[in-house]
Amino acid sequence: MNLLKKILKYPVVLAFFLFIFLFTAVDLVKPDREYSEFENKYLTQRPEFTLASFLNNEWTSKYETYLNDQFVLRDDWITLKSICESMLLKIENNGIAYGADDYLFEKFTTLAGDSLAQFERNVGYEKTFIDTYGETVPITFTIIPNAYMILPEKLPEGLIQVDQAAYTAPIYEAVGDKAQVVDFTGALTAHKDEYIFYRTDHHWTTLGAYYAYAAYVESLGMEPVALDSLSGIEVPDFYGTYFSKAKKFDAVADTITYYPIADAGVIIDGQEADGYYDLSKFEVRDKYAAFLRGNNGYTVIKSGVREVPEGQEPSKILVIKDSYANSFVPFLLYNFDEVHVVDLRYSAVSMKELLSTENFDQVLLMYNFMNLVTDTNLYKLGY
Amino acid sequence: MVFSSILFLFRFLPVAFAAYYLAPKRLKNFVLLVVSLVFYSWGEAKYFPVMISCILVNYISAILIDKYRDNVRIRRTVLVLSCIFNLGTLGFFKYTNFVVGNLNSLFGLSLPSINLVLPLGISFYTFQTMSYTLDVYMGKVPAEKNLIDLGAFVVLFPQLIAGPIVRYTDIARELKERSVTLPAVQEGIKIFILGLGSKVLIANNVGALWTEVETIGAGVGYLSVSTPLAWLAVLAYSLQIFFDFNGYSLMAIGLGKMMGFEFPKNFDFPYISRSFTEFWRRWHMTLGSWFREYLYIPLGGNRVSKPRLIFNLFVVWAATGLWHGASWNFVLWGLFFFVVLVIERFGFKNFLEKHGVFAHVYVLFFLLLSWALFAVTDFGMLRDLFTRMFSFAGGVDWIYYLRNYAVVLGIGILFSTPVFRPLYYRLTKYNAFNLVFFGVILVASTAYLVDATYNPFLYFRF
Repeated sequence: MNLLKKILKYPVVLAFFLFIFLFTAVDLVKPDREYSEFENKYLTQRPEFTLASFLNNEWTSKYETYLNDQFVLRDDWITLKSICESMLLKIENNGIAYGADDYLFEKFTTLAGDSLAQFERNVGYEKTFIDTYGETVPITFTIIPNAYMILPEKLPEGLIQVDQAAYTAPIYEAVGDKAQVVDFTGALTAHKDEYIFYRTDHHWTTLGAYYAYAAYVESLGMEPVALDSLSGIEVPDFYGTYFSKAKKFDAVADTITYYPIADAGVIIDGQEADGYYDLSKFEVRDKYAAFLRGNNGYTVIKSGVREVPEGQEPSKILVIKDSYANSFVPFLLYNFDEVHVVDLRYSAVSMKELLSTENFDQVLLMYNFMNLVTDTNLYKLGY
Repeated sequence: MVFSSILFLFRFLPVAFAAYYLAPKRLKNFVLLVVSLVFYSWGEAKYFPVMISCILVNYISAILIDKYRDNVRIRRTVLVLSCIFNLGTLGFFKYTNFVVGNLNSLFGLSLPSINLVLPLGISFYTFQTMSYTLDVYMGKVPAEKNLIDLGAFVVLFPQLIAGPIVRYTDIARELKERSVTLPAVQEGIKIFILGLGSKVLIANNVGALWTEVETIGAGVGYLSVSTPLAWLAVLAYSLQIFFDFNGYSLMAIGLGKMMGFEFPKNFDFPYISRSFTEFWRRWHMTLGSWFREYLYIPLGGNRVSKPRLIFNLFVVWAATGLWHGASWNFVLWGLFFFVVLVIERFGFKNFLEKHGVFAHVYVLFFLLLSWALFAVTDFGMLRDLFTRMFSFAGGVDWIYYLRNYAVVLGIGILFSTPVFRPLYYRLTKYNAFNLVFFGVILVASTAYLVDATYNPFLYFRF
């Protein structure tokens, strides 16, 4: 009794140890999570202990990451940090800058060193690909500009981002004689007042993808399908990848629009799939993964709106792409009988074999700029 | 292991303190030794033998020195050997590559460099153990007969990795006899939380600004930023290093208090100094007093001729610089202080004392430059940074950074002065205030540690 009275005279001691011991105890007994919806990422699992990994510091550092990732109430701590950052009047969190009109932008202030080298390697792989196949099949080459290039006035003042145009211009010039070059900057900028980029995600919206599609097929001398002839379905409450990084507590959700397309079969990595869209993904946080059923290696989609005249070969296009294309590809089914889609990140398909067995009418090589800085799979273009 | 981590707060700390508080008095030092060795070995397991030999060599040396107190030759030989061991360990891990690199570029050799991570805190604990053996040699303290007690001193986890540099004489009495009282524990917790907040909420936050500009500097070069941004970045670094370093020291002092130790103060509002002489009485005080005690005074101190005094100061400041990192910019950084301290000593200090405002401007201006010199190890980049600071280039990039960091910079500047001190002392008399104030800092720090994207350990070079 006496001790308790004494302790109550020093409540900081009591509160401190209660806080530390309580959170430690709860953290020790609560089950681990595999995946965080909130952050849209897989969480580190308990690393397996081996003496060797302990001695070379691998185990200890993994264990610390594991502790952080699995810490009790992690999502709430993250939200609390985001609130604190806002109270400090910060206009960014975890590398995501808060722009005008609730737009979030990834900070991308320098392209140098390793990332520049990766970018140049990737562009090099693309150039080699064009050099190799450019004479046998018509190739269209484009580098998709990221949102801040189209909506610079929405960037916070004074945030100087990498000027993507300065890098793409010489590349376009260099590949120009072997491939057709389409720069989407113009088409997107012409519609910059419309909802063409997500606020909380790094992708373009389906509308943005449509304008790019229109520019692309027009460059091929084709007629784009009219948007008002299609009926879109809107899915509200989309919080994208930028939100997952910044976890801005007062971020404004996006709306995803998709156009149910008449396909005559979708084959993903050799398996028949149940349609182009994975509608169940619209129910969860990572809604963009509904397009093309997430990221897959090699997908073949047959158009359900076109009919191949008898005795003729179906027209085929090959799209080599990153996830920007996932909302872009459906429109191509109005212009081609078959759309083949390769995502090199998940694909083991040999490009050499694919291009020699399939008789493509068109090849589209389409990556967004920032992906070209980080992607480490473009070397597969050479296989 | 570092204090500012979930691992420390929610694994190590509860276990270590439960074991320590529950252990009977005669076992407390043993518990301390064991938990400290665990703390040290976490992530550094392969350097465990280094620590053990450091304890054993100094333990045996001191006992031999004590035993052969009357035999100058043996006594001195043992001391020299133990110093060679201590400095040799430090030198091997910290300076081998520096020496090899310099020899290679000087003579066009291609000697191989070693591929070793610097053992955590080695600069701190080698200095701490050396102070022990030296003090025994000089007869200030008797040798410690109890290996556990000495081991606990050497590897004592609060001050192991980033200071303060606690000398054996500072805590010799407490190693034998100390008591843990509730008021002291409460005081310790408060200091620990202040330190944690300093590091996690202020230093990391403001340091992110410097790191961003540093990334630009290392990528496309400092010449591509505007002059205002260059100054802003150096200011941010100056605040980061103070709050980071002071934060670690406060956490160490707080943890020590929670276990019944009184560690010496390490920082006393250095940025309000009116001369560099004063600055070094307020900045990293335990390092300054270590060099004074074990280098400057043995060299003759200031009771020597003028040229010899200048030489002594030169040696002390070159060594101080080099202690901070095995790179020429740290040597230059140390020598910069040598120059200003000599100038101040020979008259300039009197002038500064009479002109207070000028004195502040003078200290802050050169301090910022010295931190730039400290922060950038590559001379080419350093040249670019200084060029950008002094040959004006406009631009709008600073607007974003100023907007983003204005509040953090403001908080940093205010808290590096004692303006809130009277208020703090008045309010912390009330328990209700304490609960809210320290609670908020602890909870916010935890949030920042869970979502840690930027939580550097700055002393990996030390």
